Amino acid sequence: MVPSKTIALFPEASYGAALNCVGIAQELRRLGARPVFICHPGFSGVFAEYGFPEYQLADAASEGPTDWNDFIERHKDAFRQTPLEQLETYVGPTWDAIVDTAIQVEEPLRQLLARLKPDAIVLDNVVMFPAIANAGVPWIRVVSCAETEVPDPLVPPYLSGCGGKPSKEWQVFSTHYEKVVAPAHRRFSSFLNECDVKAPASPGFLDPSPWLNLLLAPEIIRHEREVPLDPETFVFLDGCVRRETPYVPPRFASHNDAPLVLTSFGSLGAMDVSMVKRMIEVFATLPCRFLVNAGHWRDEYQDVPDNVFIDSWFPQPSVVEQASLFIHHGGNNSFCEALYYGVPSLVMPYCWDGHDNARRAEECGVGLRLNRYEWSKGGLSGAIRTLLENADMKARLKANSEKMKAAAGATRAAEEILSIAATLPMRSL
Amino acid sequence: MNAEPKRTNFRHVELAQKILDIASERGMSPGERLAEQALASLCSVSRTPIRKALQILAERGLVTAEAEGGFALVADPSVTARLDHASEGTTETEIYAAILRDLAAGRISGMQTIAALQRRYSVSRQTVLNALLKLCDENLAERAPGQQWILKQFAISADAVSKSYEFRLVTEPLALTLPEFKRDMPALTSLRQSMLVLKSMNEAAFDRRLFERTDFDFHMLVARSCGNPFMAEALVNHHRRRRNNPVSGHVNVFRLVQSNLEHIQILEQMERGQMELAADLMRVHIQLSQSQRPRLAGRGVPPAFKLVSR
Repeated sequence: MVPSKTIALFPEASYGAALNCVGIAQELRRLGARPVFICHPGFSGVFAEYGFPEYQLADAASEGPTDWNDFIERHKDAFRQTPLEQLETYVGPTWDAIVDTAIQVEEPLRQLLARLKPDAIVLDNVVMFPAIANAGVPWIRVVSCAETEVPDPLVPPYLSGCGGKPSKEWQVFSTHYEKVVAPAHRRFSSFLNECDVKAPASPGFLDPSPWLNLLLAPEIIRHEREVPLDPETFVFLDGCVRRETPYVPPRFASHNDAPLVLTSFGSLGAMDVSMVKRMIEVFATLPCRFLVNAGHWRDEYQDVPDNVFIDSWFPQPSVVEQASLFIHHGGNNSFCEALYYGVPSLVMPYCWDGHDNARRAEECGVGLRLNRYEWSKGGLSGAIRTLLENADMKARLKANSEKMKAAAGATRAAEEILSIAATLPMRSL
Repeated sequence: MNAEPKRTNFRHVELAQKILDIASERGMSPGERLAEQALASLCSVSRTPIRKALQILAERGLVTAEAEGGFALVADPSVTARLDHASEGTTETEIYAAILRDLAAGRISGMQTIAALQRRYSVSRQTVLNALLKLCDENLAERAPGQQWILKQFAISADAVSKSYEFRLVTEPLALTLPEFKRDMPALTSLRQSMLVLKSMNEAAFDRRLFERTDFDFHMLVARSCGNPFMAEALVNHHRRRRNNPVSGHVNVFRLVQSNLEHIQILEQMERGQMELAADLMRVHIQLSQSQRPRLAGRGVPPAFKLVSR
């Protein structure tokens, strides 16, 4: 019997990348491969729920659990700033934390890969890990962030939220970005050099894979490039949506036949309870049903209006499929799910590539962008009504949805990964 | 909700479910007759409520009225999902469900009066009272001094699911090892039949509602068989509340398939009289059923967050 290929998937410790990889792993399993997940310290349990083996990396440097109220207090203000202002307060410290993690997990990752002996490694992350480069098997990069993560002179700078054509604004952001991340980049380069791995040129932290790079961005939001990506090694998936538990919307106390609107800012974005409460006041005045993902803070909500339902978790793709509008933070997974199901997006970003996706949603006519903290009640309800009533946008999204579904991105990803894994001789069991 | 249709009767629905349970335990097949008098004796009620319960089953296509009188099974009771009270559509069950939904959704507070609920749902005082009494039956409400009623928010809060697992982890393995635990072999055999039907289904075809029935029946069976009335009462009440909680969390089909296999393993040990082993397996089953996914994650967010109550 031919042994099945073992594919090790290593997503970063965020729900977007993790659930994107679940979609790919579901298809790998269907095609007869053996997908296994490598988990960052503290980020386990997600994949086991979908029936995949998990291997958690030990964190030798950890001194026990971190109090995240402190983290939230520190970053709450940063999330109110512009992308340029966030470089100092959020982006720089985040790159520092990412580099710390890469260094901490290097040894356990090297040991784990030696034990697992995968036929290929799928890296859905924003940083390189020497253990992967040195594993002796092909590695595949998944860009589950916005397309801006892969730079080009015609593509707005990563995390800038800039749009349009190259401008002075692009230059200012890029210069400042490079300056802010320079210390983390120096530290990272020196670490890679110690591990005999060539460091990416500043300000990059991860070069393209020489084997295969998978990008989520569907055609409708894709950027024009001065230097086209090599189709041999870069594959656009047109989305990559996992199969999820079917969702039956709850019975509301009113408006049970009205359009369904999902609001979810991700597990981190749910922390701003007062902002979400303000939104709910507006929701109460609209003829729609609203599902609100409150994450860990569900019990903070009282006097919830009759047309609003709050929960701490939703099987998102199954909900988006039934929704008429998706209000989100511009997380790439959320954005792609909205596009996949032909649902307009109202993007209210607060960090990272959410800014890029918010801008892109507006530019490409697939949604609107709204400043997360500077909106009036009329502005929010107006944006919701506009998106629900825009027949042209709806028609364009429907046509795009059909294309994305036909492209079957998760299946394509699995097939491409297996074709790369097949280039190596079979390992014996 | 202004109309006040015919009263009742969730008790008839419960009785209808009991008839199905009896048919399943006895291994009855479609076509077999259901004798009213025998059912009345087994359920310790008169024939009148049995006939009403059989009519409910007939309305749902599970039994059929025979030309010469009486009823016969149409469906195989071992593969039939639990009857849904709320779908009965009577006003009091609707109000019962609406109160629970609104409480769980944070739309109404835990302290209520009949008058306030009457205003909210535009129904009669008697209907609200009946709904509250049903909530009391399920231990989800209690009378407070004066005009107040307390709705037990803790039972359906965001933390209720994890607190419930904590409670069950202490009690259910213990129930299995109590000295007077009495195995109900016909019920075990009947449950095993239903679980094997589920086992034969793949993830895509898995019958979630049938699983919900076997899950509830299995844990209720452990509770009822434990031989200690105090423990039995606590567990039966808890499982009823658990079943009626509108916030039950989303569980992937993969986990339900695994859970069914774990039920079968525990049941096999119970059948063999290996109660300590069954208790160990129950402990594992309850722990595996708890979601382990992180509550909060994000790029650059420190790992292994401590969940601090706020």
